[in-house]
Parts: sequence; C-alpha cells; structure tokens
Amino acid sequence: MHWLRWRCCSGLLALASVVTSSMPIFEVSLSRGLDFTHRNSPTPQKYLIETMGGGVALLDYNNDGLLDIFLVNSGRLTSPMQTPETFDRHDPLYWNRLYRQNRDGSFTDVTAAAGLSNAGDGNYGMGVAVGDYDNDGYPDLYVTSYGKNVLYHNNGDGTFTDVTAKAGVAGVGWSVSAGFFDYDNDGKLDLFVARYMEWDTKHSKTCGGEWHTYCPPEEFPATTNILYHNNGDGTFTDVSQRSGIAAKKGRALGVAFADYDDDGFTDIFVANDGMQQYLFHNNGNGTFTERGLEAGAALSEDGRRLSGMGVVFQDYDNDGRPDIIVTELPREIYGVYHNEGNGLFTYRSLEAGLGVLSSGSSGWGVGLEDFDNDGWKDLFVAQGHVLDNVEQIDPSLHYQELPLLAINQRGRFQKADAGVSSPWAARGAAFGDLNNDGREDVVMTVLGGHPQVFLNRGPKQHWLVVTLRGTSSNRDGLGARVRVNGQTRFATTAGSYLSASDKRLHFGLGSAETAKIEIAWPSGIHQTLNDVHADQFLEVREPERP
Amino acid sequence: MIWAVLCFLLAFQGPSSEALRHMQAGTEAEKKRQFSVAITEFREVTRLEPTVPDGFVRLGQAFLENHDFGAAIPPLKQALKLSPELSAAHQLLGYALLAQGYAAEAVSHLQKTDDKAALGIAQLEAGQLPDAVVNLQAALANRPNDPDLLYYFGRASGLLSKQSIDTLLANYPDSARAHQAMAENYYVLRQMPQAEREFQEAIRLRPDTPRLHLELGLVYAGSSQWSKAEEAFRAETKMQPGNAEAAYQLGNALLQQGMMREARAELKRADTLQPEMPETLYSLGKAASLEGDAASAEKAWMKVIEIEKTSDLAAKAHFALAGLYRKQGKMEDAQREMTEFQRLQDTATRPEGPQKQ
Repeated sequence: MHWLRWRCCSGLLALASVVTSSMPIFEVSLSRGLDFTHRNSPTPQKYLIETMGGGVALLDYNNDGLLDIFLVNSGRLTSPMQTPETFDRHDPLYWNRLYRQNRDGSFTDVTAAAGLSNAGDGNYGMGVAVGDYDNDGYPDLYVTSYGKNVLYHNNGDGTFTDVTAKAGVAGVGWSVSAGFFDYDNDGKLDLFVARYMEWDTKHSKTCGGEWHTYCPPEEFPATTNILYHNNGDGTFTDVSQRSGIAAKKGRALGVAFADYDDDGFTDIFVANDGMQQYLFHNNGNGTFTERGLEAGAALSEDGRRLSGMGVVFQDYDNDGRPDIIVTELPREIYGVYHNEGNGLFTYRSLEAGLGVLSSGSSGWGVGLEDFDNDGWKDLFVAQGHVLDNVEQIDPSLHYQELPLLAINQRGRFQKADAGVSSPWAARGAAFGDLNNDGREDVVMTVLGGHPQVFLNRGPKQHWLVVTLRGTSSNRDGLGARVRVNGQTRFATTAGSYLSASDKRLHFGLGSAETAKIEIAWPSGIHQTLNDVHADQFLEVREPERP
Repeated sequence: MIWAVLCFLLAFQGPSSEALRHMQAGTEAEKKRQFSVAITEFREVTRLEPTVPDGFVRLGQAFLENHDFGAAIPPLKQALKLSPELSAAHQLLGYALLAQGYAAEAVSHLQKTDDKAALGIAQLEAGQLPDAVVNLQAALANRPNDPDLLYYFGRASGLLSKQSIDTLLANYPDSARAHQAMAENYYVLRQMPQAEREFQEAIRLRPDTPRLHLELGLVYAGSSQWSKAEEAFRAETKMQPGNAEAAYQLGNALLQQGMMREARAELKRADTLQPEMPETLYSLGKAASLEGDAASAEKAWMKVIEIEKTSDLAAKAHFALAGLYRKQGKMEDAQREMTEFQRLQDTATRPEGPQKQ
C-alpha cells in the first residue's frame, strides 16, 4: 500500500517537474502604446544595410524609476539609390522613437516632445548606445547610422539636444554597435563605435548568382573602429589612432566591455563578421593591444573564422571572471569563450551545450541574464537569418526564427520555452526589468516589423537589483565589477547587437533572503555590503576616498 | 607521326615524281600552317595518283587541320575504299565524323585503331556508356592528368550512373533503392526535408540495408539535428558494428551534443576499426581535450599532423595544439603551433586567380 502510494506521488512529482520546466518564462505581447514599426525598405538591389538594422535601448530617460524604450529606425531607400545618397527620414514613419513607460505598463510616444524627431536625412539608422557622458544623472543617447551618427544630450527635463557637432562624434561610414565605457578610469565615459565595412550603395552588388541575394562581408573591404575620449567639457577627441584601436581593420558588428584580466582597466571585445574576433586589451596607459589570437578568443575551436554578430561579455559560470559569448551564422555554433583567469580563454561551446542549441541558427542580439532568478545567468538570443531567401538556397535554414532561450544549468545551457510560437527576423535585443517585478524582461527588435516585448512571468524567487552611483568613478559605475552571493556582473549598458540595456545590475538570489555585495569600482575603491535584504532595488553610492 | 608513316608508304608504293613533288609541297605548306595551300597540293596528288590511298589520307588530314571536318570525310572514305585496313585513315575519319556529330559511325572506325581516348569519347557521345567508361579509363591509365580525359571520364561515369538510377526509378519506383537514390539526390541539393523523407521510406522498406541509417544520419547532421543524427548513426553501428565511418559519425554527433565521454569511446572504437584516419584522430583529440586528457589530445593531434602535414585538418590540429599548450602555460610551444597554423592558413587562402564575384 505504502509502496503504491510512493509510486503514485513520485510519478506526480516527476510530472510536476516536467510541467515546471516546460512552462514558458515569458509572456510575449506588443505592449500598449508601443506602435513602432521598423522600416528597412528592402530593395531588389539587396543593399546590405537593409538587413542589418534594428537597435533598441532600455533606459530611464526621465528618472521616474520606469524603463523607457528607444527604438532606432532605418530609413527610406530608393531603387536604385541615387548619388549622392539620401535617406528621406522626414516622414514620421522613418523616425527613431522614444516611448515613455507609464505607471500602468503602457507606453506613450514622446519622440517629438523629446526633440528626437530629427533622425537625419543623410542617415540610415542602425544602433544605439546609452551612457551619462556628462555625469549629470540623466542618460544620454548615441545613435549610430550608415552615414552620420548623432549624440543626443539628455537635458534632464524630458528633452534631448543634438550635440553631435560640438561633441565631435559624428563618425563616418557605416557604424553599427556602440557603447560607453571609461577606458582610462578618469570618471568620464568614453565612446567606442564599431564599424562594419567600407561600403556604399554605389559600390553595392548582389551575390549568389541565380539566387540574387546579399553579399557576404568578405566581398567588401574591412574598416577601422572608432574610440572617442571624453574630454569632460562636452567634447570628445578621436583617439582611434593613438590608442591603437585603428591599427586593426575589421568587420565589426558587436562590441562589449569587461575587465577580463582583472587589471583594473576595461577591455574591449569586438565581434567581427567573417573573420577573427578582436580582443583589445587595455594596457592601462591609454593604448590597447589586440590579443584575440594569443588569448584564444579569436577563432572557433577548429581555427575557423566566425561570423561574429552580437556579443555578451559576462560571467556565465559564476567563477567571477567575464566570459564571452558571440552569436553567429548557422553551422558555426555560437562561440563560448571561457575565461580561464590567466588572460586566456578556452572555446567551450560544446561543453556549454551550444552545439545542439545554435548550429542551425543565426544569432544577433544576445544577453546573459538570470531570467529564473536561480543564481545562474541564462541566455537569450534574437535570431533570424541575414538572407530573406535563405530557404530557397538551403531549405534547412530559416529567415525567420524563434528566439533562443536557454536556461543555465550550472554552466550548461538547456533550451527552454520562450513563450512564442511565431518566428521573426529578429535583430536587436535589450535587457532590463520593465515592470520592476524583480524579473528581467527583454525587448527584441524585428527587421521591418514590430518590436516584441518579453515580459518575464518566471518563477518567484528572490532577487536583488543594484544601481551604482559613482562618485570618483563615472556616475553610473560602468566598468565596476559587482559580486552578489557568488555571482558576478560587470556594469555595462553595452553588448548584444546594436542595443543598449538597463544600467541596473540584476541578480537572482534563489532561496537566499539576504545578500553580500562586493563592488570593485573603476576608481579602484572596493566596497562590501553585508546582509542586504533580498527583493529590493538598491542604490549603492561609491564611498569617498579616505 | 601519321604524316611520316604516310610518306613512307607513299614512297614505297612508287608514285610519279610529279605527285611526289606535290606531296612534298603540301607537306611544307602544312608545316607552315598554310592549310589551304596544302589542300591544293594534296588534291593534286589525288588527281595524279587516284588509286593510291595516301594522297587521300593527307588531303583529309589537311582538311581536319583546317577545321573543315565535313570536307575531310570524302577523301578519307575514299582512302579506305582503296585500302580498307589503313589504320591512319580510320583514325582520321573517326575524328572527322565525331566532330561532325556522327558519333556512332565514328565508333566503328575508331575501334580499328589504338586510340582509346577518341574511341571512349565517341562511345560517350553515341550513348555507349559502359564501353566509354572502359576505354576512357584505359586512356586515363596512360595520361592520368589529362584534363580533357578526366572531364570525359567524369561525364561518362556520371551519365552511366544516372542511366542506372533512371532505370531503377522507372522500373522499381517503390523499391528501397529507388527511395535511397532519390534521397541521395535531395541530399546533394541540400533539400534536407525531402532527403529525410526518402531515406525514412527506404528504411521502412528495407531496414537492414547497409548505409541507409548512416546516410539518414548525415542528413540530420547536415541540418544540425544532432540527437536525431545520433539515433541514426547508432542504428547503423548496431547493424554494422565493424563500420568505422558509422562509429566516427556517431562519435562526432555525440561530441556536438557535448557528450564527451560517450563520444570519446565511440571515436576510439572508430580508430580501432580503421586506424590512422585523420578525421577520427582529430575528433578524438577534441574529445580527449574536452575531457581534460591533454596528453591523449596532444598525441592524437600530433598524429594528424604527421599524416596530413599541410591540409586543412593539419592546420586545425596545429591550432588545437596551440590552445592546449597555452592552457598548459607552454607559451613557446603554443606560439610555434600558432605560427604553423597561420602559415597553413595563409597558404590555403592565398588567391590563385581572379577573386570571386
């Protein structure tokens, strides 16, 4: 009798476990008021820019405690484009959009009121970076384009001002992902701009013979990335040459920052398309040395070049060191470069389970976030192939794909139900807690489509969200290493693809009701907080130097 | 060569001195590639010596060299009327007929010569595929690097293969082999869902056919469905426990899924069944490395380099060794392997011709 009862209950437990693990974490919907449509204007000319856009940022631009959404639009293309190139963006259909989040979770389009409707006729929009470059407590926006980039200063009154000319950060060519970080630890955020290639519509071409499709990156010359040093007076100086960044030409799409060798200076990882990846080691004297190959983070395990697109530079296995995950094209497997702690990385895609999860997919925006609050960062990837006719060329591949949600089981990822059934040609992805419920949400952009909001309805476990308030360091503490109960996050808004995420640092605590917080600030100051209560949004102010 | 033989024959048969003079004039003109002059001279020889076949042969040859294949046929036929066993005339007439599209007629003349290459080509054009394959293969034995022969042999073999498959499909459309053949076609075209469907039907009809599960596994592997690939490879290894390729593919599928221990065991089995296969050794090294057995990984990859030396696989092995040494802190060794890797990569990627468009 007892034996039978045990069998019965054990069976139910097993069933419950299956049900729990198969329950979708996200509820996916088009949030009220978020009426944005990305316009990429595809043409028969197959201009490469058409397939690459779709940046998104999560930021609290008005400091009301709720995350707002900024979406980058692309622009109107003519078929064929005339010389000189113009991208008509006067029509509101082609504007970038800022959506303010209301208390009820709906959004209001505040683009015009915020002064962001001047998307620029010469620009075909790509991505966005967020950072408080003047330390005034309000996040500023940097919008990248094929054409001229734009820096919008947040005036703190709900409006922005285009300060590009004064700041000297317009750039040229085809900029993609960008990010703010403080490479010289002077307390002011500098700016890195990843550029894709030397390309223009005049020199565009199609490839694939009868398939008439977009060309691979190797068909066009590589180009340099740009590093701007923040002078602290509202201007920046282009230090690409003297810092050594411009010494390496590449085909960059993604960029992420972390101090991989724990020397106190933030390093740069650049995801390059169709070539080796770049790891720019910060020498601590204003210069960088590219060390991808010698550090073991440049190629696949087999020495193959990767189609690097998005990148995240965070610790996935809770050993305290930032690892790198690069999203790529099908048949390549998303690259997992595990940080060994001695300045070296090992390729661990297979051990991490990504051989199965990614070898048939094209990944773009990517994030490592603890979606189920169990203390292990999970993986989310926005997916969809580059070529809109890829099914004709290779029926086993798909232009539109479901996003990948993979739950981290102590360093090994296992596919989970993301709560969606319709595939998209997704590109950007930004991460943050939209509804302040302690669970990380995702906003994913869709090429030529509507953005998708993934509201986290995952298990209720304990959590902690830390907001850094730098004093000696930059005001948002970007570049800080924060450890909470054995997990580590590197403070950044950059990473993913074309996108910028919430600056707040989210930690899942599992069943722990308190936490120990250890912060290594970019200034070099170390700070420890013990017995911090779980389930709160905590602002931590950097202590003054003794 | 042909012309020297003909001169000898002509001299032996004792033509008139005037005919000989025209013969020499024609020959000189031919040397200078003045073929219309040569044609006039050789025509004069045939007028003066209408019963001697050699003038007709030279005339036919001059027409051939002038690329006037149709005009070459009547004098060559006349030569054979006068001397039916004249091998040179059969050969030249075979060429002329082949060039004019009379492949079947060309075959009958070329069969009387030793020119296996021309005979094989004629047979290919005449649709006599099995004979064409035999003769072209014989010709290739003497000239193994001749691009024309390689092309014709490839074409003949391909057509023969297609012919067999067409017959199979027409006569036995519901047979396991017919489904297998269709599946293989789809696989080549990368139409994986169709290939999968056909292989599954073939397996349903004749589950014990060797290689069916292996090929189905390759379809799954080709579309990165690794657990299904594993299942198919496992079925093949169960049916053919001595098949090294199946063991290798199973090991590789397990490796892709991060199942290092099982992968390594299967790859070891593949290596035992067929030792010194570079692909197996490379994957074996990978599995060993992932399991933390650096010594075995190093040994396997060194073996790959020993066997392959400069191939892509050798480059991969150098790269893998560089990573392994770096991890062990042997920076000099790592640098050496990385340099070698880069050297092989540079060699492999050095452009040999115009860049792709």
